[in-house]
Amino acid sequence: MSAPDSPTQIVHREMRDPARTPVRILCVEDNDLDFILIRKHLRDARFSAPVEIQRARNIGEAVSLAEPVEGRAPFDIALLDLSLPDSCGVETYRRLRTAAPRVAVAILSGNSDEDLALDLVQNGAQDYLPKDSLTPDLLKRCIIYAMKRQHHRVEMEMLTDRLRRTTEELKTTQMQLIQAEKVESLGRLASSVAHEVKNPLGVIQMGLDFLEKRLPGAGDDVDSTLSLMHDAVMRADSVIHDMLDFSRSDERRVESCDVNDIVHCVARMLKHEIDRRKTTLRLELADSSLRTLCDPTGMEQVLINIVTNALQAMAPGRVLTVRTKRALAGNIPRDEGLREMNVMRAGDDAIVIEVQDQGPGIADDILNRVFEPFFTTKPTGEGTGLGLSVCKRIIELHRGQLLVANVSAPRGLLVSIVLKSEPFTETAPTTREGPMA
Amino acid sequence: MNKKRILVIDDDTGLTQMVKLNLEATGHYEVCVEIDSTLAVETARRVRPDLILLDYIMPEMDGGDVTFSLREDPFLRSVPIIMVTALLANKEMSPNGTVNRGGQVMLAKPVKMENLLKCIEKHLLPAA
Repeated sequence: MSAPDSPTQIVHREMRDPARTPVRILCVEDNDLDFILIRKHLRDARFSAPVEIQRARNIGEAVSLAEPVEGRAPFDIALLDLSLPDSCGVETYRRLRTAAPRVAVAILSGNSDEDLALDLVQNGAQDYLPKDSLTPDLLKRCIIYAMKRQHHRVEMEMLTDRLRRTTEELKTTQMQLIQAEKVESLGRLASSVAHEVKNPLGVIQMGLDFLEKRLPGAGDDVDSTLSLMHDAVMRADSVIHDMLDFSRSDERRVESCDVNDIVHCVARMLKHEIDRRKTTLRLELADSSLRTLCDPTGMEQVLINIVTNALQAMAPGRVLTVRTKRALAGNIPRDEGLREMNVMRAGDDAIVIEVQDQGPGIADDILNRVFEPFFTTKPTGEGTGLGLSVCKRIIELHRGQLLVANVSAPRGLLVSIVLKSEPFTETAPTTREGPMA
Repeated sequence: MNKKRILVIDDDTGLTQMVKLNLEATGHYEVCVEIDSTLAVETARRVRPDLILLDYIMPEMDGGDVTFSLREDPFLRSVPIIMVTALLANKEMSPNGTVNRGGQVMLAKPVKMENLLKCIEKHLLPAA
């Protein structure tokens, strides 16, 4: 018998066909008598390929022997006794399985732990062998089938993994396509709407200008009517302008922006929708300007999306609050998944835009899924499930964070956009030409 | 004082009518209208305008094509052109609704008379 400290290696080759790939067996067995018996059975079983047996007396030894070398498993199968000096029961199986996920495992069970062995077969072991009734044929059949099953399992896992990755790629591509298509069709729509609406607006505007000249001193009623009509033209015009601005996605650039301006712009664009739903928009904006480096169009897109979601979640009469404020990055809950992206450091000056609705909120168990592409809580046909995932991507491109949380009193959903604050320097990034003389 | 002659090239008849009405009401201008952009050069040759107000989006020939043809013509080459377009977005404009794109002055629709008059006065060539 070999020294108890070192693994015993016995190479037993059947010489009839030495070219065959050897069957590499790890026998994890602390009982010398049991091991000798198993080795004898293996020899008597007359495998058609050479058989290499290596022994481990405890789980520690088994784990270090079975760990993959350069990505390849050093064994085809492990015959595993569950009761070892340093481990017993499920724990024995678990440790070996973790260390060597690709090695087939057949449990060697005594009478006392046969139920457990069966249980393990249900949970990933390839087979179990009752020690008391081992025969060479039984052992051989068990090993061959266990190896085949394990081979298929590994192959299936590889295929599943490949399928998962392909599906991911497909989803991402699909998402990009849909987004590109949306932006493009919006661009086309914006141009044609602009042309069709601005000409009539032009007629009305010039008609008003003419009437103002022709009706001086016609009375307060006439003046105020003309003035109201003039404001109405301006309002309609600003909606078209905002839409044109928004659709110019190909001209995205990062510039210094005041997030309060962005909120105002979005509020203007969605005013009709807010009124139509008989909801109220409450703006709680910071007094000072909150400057950040961002792509204003992208930021508008994100905000429109979030506000629209909020409106859709609320019943008439409810209040939607949009808040802007300064905060310290450290005080903001961190998204664990983003830690490595070096988004913001604790203590950094941050700017927060919060959109808080008075809707039903989102169930806690699905709250973390709202950013997944194609995930939607809206009725079929009403949401693509892309909005928030695109928003998150845009915010991440800004190295910011998009967070969602349920709030109470009043109940609702709070969506926060956290952006890095621009160092406080008043820059004037204007590309406009001066007023004409 | 001789009235300055303005040629308005725009396919929207409502709009051309309004521009004509307003400009002529000032007493300083005489306005001619062409609603077919393919006839723009021909009309301009006949009318000999002091300034052209040109719509951008038109069927057949757009404002860009018309400008190109006008600039090709030796008699029309120096006539100032103000382009009027519905396609300008907020950020591109100065507060009075104009922008200078590659030397081309553009006015955003809907045009306020006040801005239009200022722009015309600025770009009219001094009387020869």
